[in-house]
This record gives sequence, C-alpha cells and structure tokens, in this order.
Amino acid sequence: MKVAVIQFLGSNCDLDSVWALRQIGVTTDLVYYKDFEEIYYKYDGILIPGGFSWGDYLRAGVIAANTSCMKLVCELSESDVPILGICNGFQILTEAGLLPGALIRNDSLSFICKWVTISVESKKSVFTKDLVIKSQLKMPIAHGEGRFATDDLNKLYKNNQVVFKYLGENPNGSMDAIAGVTNLNGNVLGLMPHPERASDNIIGGKDGLKILKYFLT
Amino acid sequence: MKFLVETIIENLPLARNPEGETILRELVHRGGYKDLVSDVRSGKYLRFTVEADHSNEAKEIIFDLCNKLRIFNPIVHKFTISKVEKL
Amino acid sequence: MNNFNEVEEGMISVMHSEHCSYKSSRPILKAFSQIKSKRVLIGLEQDAGVVDIGDGYVVVFKIESHNHPSSIEPFHGAATGIGGIIRDILCMGVRPILLLDPLRFGSLEKPHNRWLMKEVVGGIVNYGNCSGIPTLGGDIEFDESFDTNCLVNVACVGVGKVENIKPSQVKDVGDLLILVGTTGRDGIHGVTFASRVITEESEADRPAVQIGDPFAKKVLIEATLEAIETGFVNGLKDLGGGGLTCATSEMAGAAEKGVEIHLEKVPLREENLSPYEIMISESQERMLFCVAPSGKEAISKILDKYNLSYACIGHVTDTGRVLVFNNGTKVADLPAKLLSDPPVIHRTSSKPKIREISTSNVYAADLPILIEKKLYSLLESGNIASRRWIYTHYDHEVGVRTILKPNVCDVAVLRILGTKKAIAVKSFGNSVQTYLSPYDGAAGAVAEACRYVASVGAKPVAMSNCCNYGSPENPEVFWEFSESVRGMVDACKVLDTPCTGGNVSFYNEDEENGIIIKPSPVVVILGVLEDQTKAVSMNFKNPDDSIIAIGNTVTRLDLQREKKTIDMIVELIDKRLLTASIPCSRGGLGVSVAKMCISGDVSALIRIPLIPSYDHMNEYELLFDESHSRFMVSASEDNTAEIIKFTKQKEIPARIIGKTNNSQELAFVGNFSNTLDTIRFHLPDLKEKWEKTFPSMLG
Repeated sequence: MKVAVIQFLGSNCDLDSVWALRQIGVTTDLVYYKDFEEIYYKYDGILIPGGFSWGDYLRAGVIAANTSCMKLVCELSESDVPILGICNGFQILTEAGLLPGALIRNDSLSFICKWVTISVESKKSVFTKDLVIKSQLKMPIAHGEGRFATDDLNKLYKNNQVVFKYLGENPNGSMDAIAGVTNLNGNVLGLMPHPERASDNIIGGKDGLKILKYFLT
Repeated sequence: MKFLVETIIENLPLARNPEGETILRELVHRGGYKDLVSDVRSGKYLRFTVEADHSNEAKEIIFDLCNKLRIFNPIVHKFTISKVEKL
Repeated sequence: MNNFNEVEEGMISVMHSEHCSYKSSRPILKAFSQIKSKRVLIGLEQDAGVVDIGDGYVVVFKIESHNHPSSIEPFHGAATGIGGIIRDILCMGVRPILLLDPLRFGSLEKPHNRWLMKEVVGGIVNYGNCSGIPTLGGDIEFDESFDTNCLVNVACVGVGKVENIKPSQVKDVGDLLILVGTTGRDGIHGVTFASRVITEESEADRPAVQIGDPFAKKVLIEATLEAIETGFVNGLKDLGGGGLTCATSEMAGAAEKGVEIHLEKVPLREENLSPYEIMISESQERMLFCVAPSGKEAISKILDKYNLSYACIGHVTDTGRVLVFNNGTKVADLPAKLLSDPPVIHRTSSKPKIREISTSNVYAADLPILIEKKLYSLLESGNIASRRWIYTHYDHEVGVRTILKPNVCDVAVLRILGTKKAIAVKSFGNSVQTYLSPYDGAAGAVAEACRYVASVGAKPVAMSNCCNYGSPENPEVFWEFSESVRGMVDACKVLDTPCTGGNVSFYNEDEENGIIIKPSPVVVILGVLEDQTKAVSMNFKNPDDSIIAIGNTVTRLDLQREKKTIDMIVELIDKRLLTASIPCSRGGLGVSVAKMCISGDVSALIRIPLIPSYDHMNEYELLFDESHSRFMVSASEDNTAEIIKFTKQKEIPARIIGKTNNSQELAFVGNFSNTLDTIRFHLPDLKEKWEKTFPSMLG
C-alpha cells in the first residue's frame, strides 16, 4: 500500500508517523493538505497524524475538518480507502463526521502524557482484524482533549465499533474507557494513543506496529 | 436572594487574540463571510449564582472575588460583568 | 546623541539597553571565550552555539530567561519565553527537538507562588506541546528569595546537518531582506515620546506582557526549515528583543556590511504604526531572511504555501550603515556597528561579608531516628520530590526520540534519528550553594550538570548558561556575578565543556521590600552518547545486583577529580558494565539510592559505614552529605569485580556498599552507639512521600 500522511497546519506527529511507517517498509509520503487534492489518487491509504492542527483553536480538529482536503477524505472513505487517525487525527475524523462520538476535554482538565495499556475489543476495523480480542498493547498518550463521549453507546457496541479500551486507570475520563473506535464499514479507525511513538524498542516498545503494519498489506 | 452574575474574561482589546484571529481567518472568512464579518475575539464566560441583598451587592461580590482569587489577570485580561439577574 | 533624530535615538536606546547590549556583563563573560574545543563550530559570537557531534550532524543549543514577564503574567510570560528560544535555535538553520524549563519559585506554602507555578507550567504546556517539541530535562528549585521574583528560564536544543547551518548575518551585497510575520505595537511600553498614535487610554487596553501564538510558531518552524532547504537563504535572524533594529543591525554588523530597508513594505497588524514603532516593535513569531535575489520566487512560494504574511523590505549594501526609509523619506541612517557593538560599562564589585547557614550538632544515639526523619523530609521537599506532576503535563514523547523516560531518568536523552548516536541534556543550578560561595556554587553547578549527563553514559561536550541576578549596579550583586562566572569558567575549562552562549538576566529584585534573589546561574550541559543502545537510567533493574558507591564523600569540589570520575563513569557505561546509574546530587547518597529503588520498584540493603570517605563522618553525614564527584551505580554480580578493578586502575575510590533485593524494604545498616542497627523504610511509603508533594500542593 502507498500511504499519504497528511500534514495540516499545526500537525506535529506527521514526521514521526512517516518515520515509523518507513521503518517497517511502508511506502510513505508526507503530503501537505493543500497538495492532497491534486495527488490523492496516488495513494491507497491515509494516515491523519497527531498534533495541534490550527492550534486546536475553537475545538480540537474542527478547523481541519472544514478544509476541502477533509471533504475529499470523506469521499474517499466511501470507496473503502483505509484511513487511520491518531490523536488529533482522531479528533479531526470525529469532527468531519467519519467517526462517531466526540473528544472533549480530559476530566483532569489538563494535558496528559504517559504510557498506557489498551485492550483490543473488536476486529471490525481493518487495522485490527488480525489482532487477538482482549490482547494488550502499550503505547503513550499525549492529549488535553481525549475524553471520548457519545450519545449512543449501545449502538457502538451493537455494531462492534468500539475497538480499543484503556486498561487499568481511565486516564481522561472517556466513556467506558474507550480509546479508539471505527466506522460502520471498518475502514476508518481513530485512536487517542500514539502507535507511531511505540514503534521501536529503544523508545519504549513497538506494540504500535501491530496497528501500523496493516499499511504493509 | 439569589442572583445570576454573568462575566466575560477576554484578552485586553489591544492584545493579540490568536484563537479569535485563527477562527476568523480559517473558518469564518474561508466559509464565505469575508465581506460581512471583520473580527472575532475569543474569551471565557463564567456564570455565578450568588446570594446577595440586591443586584449591586451581587455585582460587587463577584467583582471582588474575581480580583482576589485571580480569576483574571489585569495585566492581560479585560473583565466585564455582562449581566446581573435576580433569580 | 544630539545629532540623532527620534527614530535613531530610539534605535540606539534599544540596542544600548542592558537586555540587548550586555553592557554590564560582557567584560566579565569575555573569560568564557578562552575555552576552545574543536567540536564547537560556532561559539559565543552568534545567537546560539553550534556543536559538531559527528556523522555530519550538529547540535545547536541555548538557554535564556523570561523572568520579568513571567513574574507578572506567568502563563503568557512562560509561553512567549519558549517562543523566543525556539526562534534562536531555528534561526541557526536546524530543527528544534527539545525544550528544557529550569524554574525557580518561592515556597509553595504561599498561595501566590502556587498560582505562579501552575500558570507557568500551564503556559509551557500550552506553547511547548503545541509547538511539537518535547519538554524534559529541566530542573526546579524553591527558595524564599524567589518570592517576589520567580525565575523562568528556558532552553532549546536543535539538531541538523552541518551544511544547513546558517549564520545570523547578511552575505552578499544586493541580497534581499525578507521579513516574515506581522508587526504590531507589542513590546513598546511606556515609550510615549515618539509615538503620537498611542494615547493614554489605548495604553490601558494594551497588555504589559505579550500573548504568544504557538500555532503560528509551529508554522514558522516548518516554513523556515523548508526555505533553508532551497539553498537560497544566505542568513537569517529571529526578531526578539530590539525587534527589527536588532535584527538588521546585528546581521549587517556581523558581516561588516550595511542594509537599506523600506518601512512602508513591512506587513502590519495594526494601522498607523510610526517608523519609530516599526523599528522597535517586539512582535512575536517574526523572522528576517537574507535571500539571494535568484531565490526570491522559490522562497515566496514556500511562504505562500504556509499562509504566512511576508514582504521583501530591502536589501544588503556595502555601506556598513543601517539606512531606513519610510515612503521614500529617510528616517534613520546609522552605522550598523554603532548599534551592534555598543560600549560596555565596567561595574564595581565588592565582596559581601561571609554568609553561613547554621548547622546543628547531632548525637550518635539519635542518629537512627534523625536519619529516618531526614530521608522522609528530603523526599517530600520541593527541591527533591518527584516531578511527575510536572512532566506528565508536558508532551515529552513527541519526536520519537525520547529514549529514557522522565520517571526513570532526570536527564533528557534523545536519539539522533538516522545515526547510532544519542544526546543527553540537563539543566542544573543550586542557588543556596551559589549564595554561600558564588565561585564554588557556580563551578559546582557545571560539575553537577556534567555528572547528570555522564550518569546516562554521555560525554559532556558543551555548556550554555543563564545568569540570573539582582541589579548589577549593586556592587555586592556584581561581585556575586563576577565570582560565579569565574567559577563556571574554571569548571568548563577542566571539564572540557566550552560555553557556547547564553543569557544574562539582571534586576531580579524587588524595589519595594529590597529582596534580591539568591545568585542563580543555571547551567545546561550537552552530552553525546556514541551508541544510543548503551544509555543507562537510574532505576534498579534486578534483585541481587551489587550497589557500588563511586567517589569519596569529601566536602570541597575538586575539578580534576570530578573530571576523572566523570570520564570513568562514561567508560563503565560504554563497556556495558552498569545496570543503573545516578549522580549523587541533592539529598546526597541517601536520596540517590531511594530514587533508584522507587523508580525501579526494587529494594536494597545498604551498609552505611562502607561508603567511601576521607574524613571521619557519622552515618547521618555519610548518607546526606552533598559532596560532589560521586555516583551510585548498580551492576550484576558477574561484572562487579571488573568494575572495582577498573576503579582501582583509575585511582578513584569505589566500594560495594550493598545489594538489591525483593523485600519491598530499603534498609540502611549503621554502626550507631557502637551497636549494629538497621533503619528500615517500607518502599511503598517512600514512594508515596516522594510522589505526593506536587499533586497535593497544586492539585
């Protein structure tokens, strides 16, 4: 798969994501959001990286979600293009309506950066179809607005859309400790923890590669 | 008696307001309102419910409280009591 | 200065201010320039030092202060402080990859200080996290002398390819000057004589502290790095203190050239700025590029891509003068050197009377109980307690470089992507020791920061410092400053860590109540690890490891001995002989071993009388003495003999003083009142004490 890591103004995990994907052999380009509309057809997969797009002003992800680049991403998702949103990328995907729910301010009201353990709860997402249910992954979180909220939790469970949950302490007060969700179709995944920061033993572990390696197929 | 006191904390008028500026430029103007909307300022809005004998007292209590507890910092913030309402 | 017009007078007055000119400190700081190293490619002469780390890579780093704004508006003061230091690193042509925040506050018992600290940390979180640069490796100290003047220092480290290094100077005559970012009336306070537009009423609407925009900074970083990649940027400089006046005159002065600029072209954020205001405005998030004329289009394209405001405001000349026009009228014409090389002031210094801190005698029979109390109180004191509350608010992982995490290491250790290397960076200062003896305290700060860096296995290679003092017009303060610079120079010489730049912050005192801060030089040491996989953290890893104390417990700092000990630790780690390592710092050996246990969740038994010392010391002194040149390390039993043999060869005292275990107990065996006795600490109790201070104070 050839993957575009989309760089918005204020993305800051863009280079980290490119680094992690290239480490495992995924053909990856960093694509500036304005350029994406011209060259989107070259790519088979999309990664929307973490950071503070447009400074997280107003609401994390809302300004990026309003760009014509994201309108195009929404269209592409309908043709089954795999799309992974990490942290701010997750926030952008919910703001754009590609994923259910919203990410609101942590219950501690402060930014939190630490390693957490999450469990795999669903194989509905293309990114987790080969993972074992209830298996555990260790990854860092780093966010101020990562508390997952939705008005219809039952529907998410019924459709198997809850993909990851925090194990042990719920770091941000997310509903049911939800750390990641997928869309009905399973091709769009968003999660708050950073798989690209768990991509090498020397920086603390490489469980994140279990998610990223889908882009190798 | 209970009063509702509404307060607004915003950056001083001549201070920069990066959030408002970004919302104006990237959402409002890009969304087609360039000719109509010329400025956006962002700030914080706090609504207090306070026990007092009359509305002026309610206002005074909240004003003193916000000063004393550093709810705003006059070095950078403008503080306004926008409304006092009897409940 | 009678022949100058008001714009020129304003430009001169800004450039000759203490802040821009270092007029009081330069004669003293000159001593740093005698220390040379072939690793240092650019030293004191530029905005930030450039250090060669091999394989074609360079590291740029510098520390600066933002004390005064932070004391009155801690959130935005701390935030814009970060903004300034990021620009200093960026303008050398490299990507900023690390921020460190050395902070000094008064006691947290006072609500005002708690407010200050929460707001300062909040400002760092707001700006640092958004900028995409990890924050770790800083230090924090509490002392009542910071009650009215807190210190907010900030350091930044950048990494790049040697060929991308750009000097902060203009190059060829005819090169274009492109100003990026918009200019407003920020930072033109209380100056009314030349500004007719600002009325007194509007001045009340203007903040005394600037508001930073981390988002704009992040975009500026990306645009600047991309512009440099084109090869058309011949030099660049950030606009900070002194604004456009400083950027143009220093860029021209350093190259022995001149510049001509046209103010009507400057992109403005407010209407009707006078030439005077444009020349001295200190608006944030601006950069001045010197661009080869053939590159104008390429650079414009990049700046357009990032939606940045910019304009070509002039060009480079051979006149040696800064020539300023506004709508065709000449408004200033001054020699660049007059602005960039201002005269110095030779301040007088006088030695204050001897300062002491009272100590009380302890009796052997009381030792066990005293030791128990002391260890608990040290672990929960603000100067030692766990920094978890702070660092979990900072994004310390972004960049995928962070090898050792802050819960197991007080030093920032980052891998250099694309190489096998890592860098280790630590800031340190000890204002109490510097107050008691400015020479020893400052030399000790250099030694201690080097020791931290060496404890992870990195060789210390360079230093940057921020000198925080009271008024230089006070001879006793100036003596403190001069003495501590002398101490740092001597330490840097012996420890082979040349000073590559830094900052001086004077006037940290309260005029009303006369409180002057304790002299507070803050030192940042850069270290290099050739093999990133060898980095060692402080946490004990396994039960049944030997615990070895390295270095003698002896009061006075001996720089030669320090150097030998540091070199040896680096070698031991290079041989992969150690499983954990920590410098003996605040709270002495007792606190060091407690931190190793807590962070590793591994227990230990220590025999205090085995701790190496020259003088006869009792158990209490051996545990808590803050002697320099000492490390605590652990090693597997198989490697212990080799380590001891190696230390003998190097003639450095070292002794196995205990072992790790799984008992959930940290035990100290002593020889109290001639009866062998053991003081036991339940590990979870120690951990609780160590962790609770900041969460309980700051919530």
